[in-house]
Amino acid sequence: MKTDFPWQLRLNGLALAGVAALALGVGVASAQLPPRGAPPALGAAGGPPGGLPPGGLPPGGPPGGPPPGAPSGPSLGLPPPPPPTPVEILVTGLPAPMPGALIPVPPLAPDAPMPAAAPGDIQGTWYHNQALEFRMQRDMYGNLAPYNMTGAKVLARRVNSLKDGTPFINASAKCRPPGPQWQRDLNMPFQIFQSKDWIEFVFEEYHARWHVILDPSKAPRPAQKEYMGYSVGHWSGDTLVVESNDFRQALWLDVDGTPLSANGKLVQRIRKVDNGDHAPFLELITTIVDPTYYTRPWSVVRTFGWQPASTLFREYNCEEQIGDPSVNADAGLLEEPRD
Amino acid sequence: MNMTNLRLRHRIGTLLCGALVATGIAASTAAQSAVPNLEGVWKNVTPTSSLKPVSGAIPFTAQGRKQFDENKRLQAKGNIDDYDIALSRCSSPGTPRLMVMPGRFKIWQRYGVMTFDFEWNRALRQIDASGQPPKEDFLGMGLVPTMTGTSVGHWEGDTLVAETTNISDRTLLDDLVPHTLDLKVTEHLHLVDADTLENRITIEDPSYFKRPWVAVMTYKRQPPTLFPEDVCLDRHDAHQPAFASR
Repeated sequence: MKTDFPWQLRLNGLALAGVAALALGVGVASAQLPPRGAPPALGAAGGPPGGLPPGGLPPGGPPGGPPPGAPSGPSLGLPPPPPPTPVEILVTGLPAPMPGALIPVPPLAPDAPMPAAAPGDIQGTWYHNQALEFRMQRDMYGNLAPYNMTGAKVLARRVNSLKDGTPFINASAKCRPPGPQWQRDLNMPFQIFQSKDWIEFVFEEYHARWHVILDPSKAPRPAQKEYMGYSVGHWSGDTLVVESNDFRQALWLDVDGTPLSANGKLVQRIRKVDNGDHAPFLELITTIVDPTYYTRPWSVVRTFGWQPASTLFREYNCEEQIGDPSVNADAGLLEEPRD
Repeated sequence: MNMTNLRLRHRIGTLLCGALVATGIAASTAAQSAVPNLEGVWKNVTPTSSLKPVSGAIPFTAQGRKQFDENKRLQAKGNIDDYDIALSRCSSPGTPRLMVMPGRFKIWQRYGVMTFDFEWNRALRQIDASGQPPKEDFLGMGLVPTMTGTSVGHWEGDTLVAETTNISDRTLLDDLVPHTLDLKVTEHLHLVDADTLENRITIEDPSYFKRPWVAVMTYKRQPPTLFPEDVCLDRHDAHQPAFASR
């Protein structure tokens, strides 16, 4: 049977909102909008399992006005869109990110092993099946990410450093674990192993691990902060809700450097979706919570296709190059100015 | 893999029971197969920096001896990067060195693929015992030797037999013993008891060794745990030894 992900070739922006709607299904249709301007309600019970992110739909609507395709014109009596803010002018004026591509994966064999039937068992091999977004820019509803001016300036500095050919040091470029979001976004497979106390994600790229601790008494915070942070999860119905914080250093959330401060946190809502079409996938909504760089929490959604044939990884050995003593220890990258 | 047929052949021995207790839910997936379950956390209790045959000395050829002596000379001079990029760069120690180093590792056994997940620098190696044909390789990436090589396994009774080839000659068998690209490593892995895993490692490389030779490693089961995030390059940048446990 052919695995058909019609969104695979879409790149970003509003197309991603389509993905969100597709993945969320009924969750979106039945969700209750929070009161306009209501504070986001983060936390375990902050939203329906697998549905909206904890804060609900972001208030305020798209900053650029009504979404494409919406009726417009004076007959509706809509007020004119507000003038763009300085933050919007700054981030929308940046050079466009590289378009992400996706190498097609072969369809799942008819006799391929399938995930466990239990929703609470997400073990197996998964593969990010959307084109990589080099720069997130927009949330899962198509709204511009809610950068504050500090966040916008950090992003602009990083994007412009690429344009100028003087990119900054970041974890990925130095063969370090780049943090949960960037790590998962890469189009390389990972395996999930699960016990009652914790869930282990083992990735091909960077041979990295992401640990989700279900019983903190069995796996307390490590003595030394880790690049991948400390992540505690619990099941809310069929959705695994994971809060990650305590990162060893500030993260780049994507290739272009969408920032997360070292004090920021990621709230991930993971659920397994099987529509009976022989193409199960994981849906993972990440809510980015970081007042240092954003005016409010915002969310992105990703999907990961079931890919047992990718259980056999390719060797990833970036140390051979990055550790070369004849090469600059910073891989030729520049130290980023501190804010 | 036809899981239904495998389930029909399912048998649970005493060894498997031990593994199930040790690894909890995780073991249940692997337990669907008819082969022994090696999943768990293991520690090499016979680690060595100087791999020895079970009897006699390493049967070097003249060419192999020459390269071994050269490595010793480079070691004495401190020219580490000229013979051991695992030590100098944190590059993967590869096969079989990962299996003879000290330290803990996990074995995961899913869909016929054995994943060895090492505490040291989060290193990975895998043995493909799925019986499936190799994946399409349009870019010919499989032609490039890797540190851990290409490991294909099969079960002979309760023993996993894994043959590894295509191993980069930038790796060593231990801290000093060299090999060529023609190296073939054959491992026989089997549970001596529920908590003891033995690995008989046969080394074949006619340019460097006059005949195949065998070394044996023993691993003991450890309590389930999450390994702390080990980043060798951070030690490298801090001018600390790559292999902290030595």
